[in-house]
Amino acid sequence: MNDFDLVRKNLFRRKLRAALMIVSILIAFMIFGVLAGFYRAFTAGEDRAAADRLITVNKINFTQPMPIAYFNRVRAVDGVRQVTHANWFGGYYQDPKNFLMTLAIEPATYFDMYRSELDIPPEQLQAFISDRSSAVIGESMARKWGWKVGDRVPVASNIFTQRSNGSHTWDFTIAGIVKGKAEQVSTDFLLFQYAYFDETRSFGKDTIGWLILQTNSPENNDRVAKTIDAMFANSTAETSTDTEKAFGKAFAAQFGNIALIVFLVVGAAFVTILMIVGNTMALSIRERTREIGVLKTLGFSGPRILRMVLGESVLLALLGGLPGLAIAALITIALRASLANIAPAFAVSPVIALEGIALMIALGLFTGVIPALNAMRLKIATALGRG
Amino acid sequence: MRSLLLQVMAVTSINLKSIAQRRWLSLSTVIAIALVVIVLLAFLAMANGFQRTIAGSGADDIAIVLRAGSQAEINSTVARDQVRLIEDGPGIARGADGKPLISPELYLVVDGLKRSTKTKANLPLRGIGEQGAALRKGIAITAGRMFNRGSNEVVVGKALLREFEGFDLGSTVSFGATRWTVVGVFDAGGSVFESEIWADLNVVQSLFNRNNFVQTVRARLTGPAALNELKSYSDNDPRLKLDVKSEAAYFAEQASQTSDLIQKLGWPLAIAMALGALAGALNTMYSSVAARATEIATLRAIGFGGFPAFVGTLVESLSLAAIGGLLGAAATYLIFDGVTASTLGGNFTQVVFDFKLSPWLIGEGVVLALIVGLIGGLFPALRAARMPIVAGLSPT
Repeated sequence: MNDFDLVRKNLFRRKLRAALMIVSILIAFMIFGVLAGFYRAFTAGEDRAAADRLITVNKINFTQPMPIAYFNRVRAVDGVRQVTHANWFGGYYQDPKNFLMTLAIEPATYFDMYRSELDIPPEQLQAFISDRSSAVIGESMARKWGWKVGDRVPVASNIFTQRSNGSHTWDFTIAGIVKGKAEQVSTDFLLFQYAYFDETRSFGKDTIGWLILQTNSPENNDRVAKTIDAMFANSTAETSTDTEKAFGKAFAAQFGNIALIVFLVVGAAFVTILMIVGNTMALSIRERTREIGVLKTLGFSGPRILRMVLGESVLLALLGGLPGLAIAALITIALRASLANIAPAFAVSPVIALEGIALMIALGLFTGVIPALNAMRLKIATALGRG
Repeated sequence: MRSLLLQVMAVTSINLKSIAQRRWLSLSTVIAIALVVIVLLAFLAMANGFQRTIAGSGADDIAIVLRAGSQAEINSTVARDQVRLIEDGPGIARGADGKPLISPELYLVVDGLKRSTKTKANLPLRGIGEQGAALRKGIAITAGRMFNRGSNEVVVGKALLREFEGFDLGSTVSFGATRWTVVGVFDAGGSVFESEIWADLNVVQSLFNRNNFVQTVRARLTGPAALNELKSYSDNDPRLKLDVKSEAAYFAEQASQTSDLIQKLGWPLAIAMALGALAGALNTMYSSVAARATEIATLRAIGFGGFPAFVGTLVESLSLAAIGGLLGAAATYLIFDGVTASTLGGNFTQVVFDFKLSPWLIGEGVVLALIVGLIGGLFPALRAARMPIVAGLSPT
């Protein structure tokens, strides 16, 4: 029998107690896995934002429109490699509750801008460009509604109205399905041509929502942003240009301090198990005082006893924590589809798993350290004398 | 019967007095349960506060007219000639001068800077008609004065002033190239309007190039029942075909989405944590039974029944849970009640609200704690009741 067998046997000498501790640790790590996964996915947009991409919006607020003329003026700014624009459509399918993330865009520049994120077969892109009343949809939207290339889909807008007939609904033929080049890229969207949108809507003609531009190099970001904003200063539509990353971060912050909430809940869960497990470990070592005395009599050194007790608490933490993380991974898979909009690629990533394992080991050492030190320092005479 | 009652009381009091001997384990259970209750109540207080702020904003006798399917004021557009048709509609109350009590309004989003994080946030700028303030209950200017019609002046809600920078009385704010003076601060009885900036409709229309349309029309009805008259009037006129809702119903819809989401997050988290705390409670109570094995066996040997041992253990567990639950509720009240927060509401703008605990919510928290205590005590109590006397008395 080696030390590990002894550790294992000690841990499970009271099966019910061990099981209960494992369950409470499991739950804490399940909460950790799910919340960390959510937080990572929620902020994924920031991390994926390309360093050389900038967003120009109306200075009043990003929901205010800008003249379409800005598109060509920004294109001419030195240091700008590519510009594209987008317009919020407020789309839904049949019932206003069935929100469809719908944008009116300029196809050629848009797909060039997002070439490292979005993947569309060239012939489908060509079909999209040549048919003005067509649209392309992302893979996850296609899956959600069962739409295929060639389908005719009525998309209603909660903002815009058709000029010709006063209808709120536009019919689009699906010209292509867009895939994401990475897991974190959300593909829950519908894109259609700005030219068609501008021609058919009843108000807001010749305006766009926002500009997305790419600089030659991230070092030029600041200069380009300043040049653009200076160009439109004192006009009726002043602009504010920022990196895509800063823009995404500011937008996420509008929902509230998500990071703080996640931190507090995970913190509360960990304090709970820390106390429960720490106390129980102390209790179970205390119960074994006599045995530890016997081990010492047999020649087990203090440090070896220390290692065995710590080993026991770390083993306990891992036995609870690893299945907890596994369950968290299953939960994230189950919820992924319904959270695709706000947190694409909701998952327990390898980084989160490693952080989790580091936390388990820390938890094990932390809960075991006081009982382990006490056991190491125990005098044989006291140990054997105690009841 | 009486002797059984006495036995139960005796054993229960022994149980409760012996808690001190297991103070660390018992304390950890109490704190674990308290933390579960804090997490639950913090989420529920957040949802409740948000709900109260928004749902409390609407009145039954005010109709709000929006473009069909627009769902929120920010999406809606109502053309100028539609506004005239609504003015002539049935069921709308009229003032002493015979004019209909309506307020056509524009709802625009402008940038503000949040005090706590120094990040940009969406704030609503509402251009209101002449009757705008009168159509909302409890509007009171608490500092300065109301804006003058036709001038670049704004009044700001006091919640907005508290949470966002640069709107102090007398200061100048710019939205894009337009400049405005803050001339007043208003109180709106804790409603969502306190998170808004108000200005004269005509000035907002001309400075933001929105001369031909407004976004919504609010109208005072002759009574809540008049809503249907106005609704069928709009449905039957092909030039209108607008959504007509009572303001109360409109805000109730707005509130439900976000507060549902908060509650849907809060309950599963609290239940998961409660399962963790349950494991802790079971552990504590099994230890309690094990520590008192000799004592229980002795009582049984001198004629006490199993039932008092059962009740004693269960009461001990429930007491620990109740203490934890109340402690958690008290901590939530001290830490979170009245804390101000803001988030994006249904109109894509910041809504400032306070965390608000209610006796009902505290009840939910304590019940959750007691359920943990009940289950955590039940199995150990059964063990205590069934423990063979011989096992308890044999030397360990």
